[in-house]
Amino acid sequence: MSALLEVRGLAKRFATRAGREQSPWIIQGLSFSVNEGEFLTIIGPSGGGKTTLLNMIAQIDCATDGEIRFQSNVAPVNDMKSLKPGLDCQIGYVTQEDNLLPWRTCLDNVLFPLQVQGKLNDETKARAQSLIRAVGLAGWENHYPHELSGGMRKRTSLIRTLVYDPPVILMDEPFGALDAQTRLQLQDDLMRLWNLGKKTIVFITHDISEAIALGDRTIVLTRQPSAVAGEHAITIPRPRDIRGIMTHPEFIELYNRIRAQVQ
Amino acid sequence: MSPARAEVLEGNAVTGWLYSHRDQILVLLILLAGWHGLSLLLGVYWVGTPWGVAVRLYNGLLSGELIRHSSYTLAEALAGFVIGCIPAAILPFLLRRLPIVTAILDPFMVGGYGSPKLALAPLFILWFGIGIESKIALVAFTVFFIVYFSTLSGIRALDTKLVLMAEVAGASEANVARYIIFPGAVPHIFTGLRIAMPYSIGGAVVAELISANRGLGYLIQLRSMNFDTTGVFVALTAVCLIVFICNLLVNFLERRLLKWRPPSDVTAQKE
Repeated sequence: MSALLEVRGLAKRFATRAGREQSPWIIQGLSFSVNEGEFLTIIGPSGGGKTTLLNMIAQIDCATDGEIRFQSNVAPVNDMKSLKPGLDCQIGYVTQEDNLLPWRTCLDNVLFPLQVQGKLNDETKARAQSLIRAVGLAGWENHYPHELSGGMRKRTSLIRTLVYDPPVILMDEPFGALDAQTRLQLQDDLMRLWNLGKKTIVFITHDISEAIALGDRTIVLTRQPSAVAGEHAITIPRPRDIRGIMTHPEFIELYNRIRAQVQ
Repeated sequence: MSPARAEVLEGNAVTGWLYSHRDQILVLLILLAGWHGLSLLLGVYWVGTPWGVAVRLYNGLLSGELIRHSSYTLAEALAGFVIGCIPAAILPFLLRRLPIVTAILDPFMVGGYGSPKLALAPLFILWFGIGIESKIALVAFTVFFIVYFSTLSGIRALDTKLVLMAEVAGASEANVARYIIFPGAVPHIFTGLRIAMPYSIGGAVVAELISANRGLGYLIQLRSMNFDTTGVFVALTAVCLIVFICNLLVNFLERRLLKWRPPSDVTAQKE
């Protein structure tokens, strides 16, 4: 397997405001790579710069030092103006908040990326419809975001990224704000969708169980400034039963190992 | 009231409307009663009775006199509203990429916003004459700043996360402006229009008060000079009615254009 995405010696600190002390390093000396078709999960303490990491990979924020390489493209360092958000639609990003457009219906939100990419045709529309059915949103297409539940909004935001099929998808605690039951359902949905296409996914979470249940491999980050504290291959065979995975012997062993590393 | 009775009342269109607006009708009756009490207390010479006003209003409408004056005022207000609002709603979008220009203009805009329009009216009449032009100019000047500032705040209040989301999803600069920034600012533009609308009619009336030979403001001026307080009340009532009807129009438009918004105001929840 070849590394599709590579992060080397990444460092980030936010710009210092006039008259203040220099702001601390959020991330320092962070290195890891993601293989093609791999589901990588990243666990880290809250406030540990996980979102900043994804923002930098998605090129909506800029690294202070180090290198982020996607295939042959190297992200600019310390140069906000040359950033290319989403790298020409090659990097999809499911953010922590759903960021749905409140003036668009569920369906129109899902179609939004296709519309701005000029890829709106019968085939892609059919794909959007099948994704809507796959996550159980059928019948809700013409509802506005404020009329949808938190879980439905999350599903909408998830398939809004899946619909244009970017080679890499970043996910920032997408299920963090949901109740346990809805979260399990969405994890199930995500696994099903992932099994269909085997996308490369970088999934951030602070939930150890989620990191093990979903990932092929998990990386544990240290406290600020973030760096890699440990790396664990997860060999629990797929398809996995998300609800029953807690009793798998490998799960328990991994859980304890990771638990010891998470500070 | 029992649910069954409420249902019967809501069954017919007219009684249904009366039933759903019963609180407002009650307030109206109290105000009318207070008004009547005042006219009894001070005498018809100072405060015309509501009934007297209603009769004069009816006669004025029948004779066409009131319609004629109202339509002048309405035409001035409408023309000024359009001339003032359109550039006010467009300018902040043009200035969006030019924060320095916006900052330079800001004190002048605040000055224009804060300037007393009543004091400006004589100046506008000097410049534009006593015809319709000076009234339109004053109305346009008044509404421009209201709509400008509310549009500006709409653009500033926009969630930058939505813009970032759109950019990651492949939206160009033009796409962001068209699909994110504009629809996001529309509710704020409407807030501006809603506030500006009565100001446009008020502005036209004020300009007519200073100098005019027609319009509701002229009518008020003329009648007060003749000590015809009931007549003044008639003209004032006509102004209120015009504002009320225009407000219904704005509400209708807003509901059509902003149907994506969760119902937030009291009247919307009632429906």
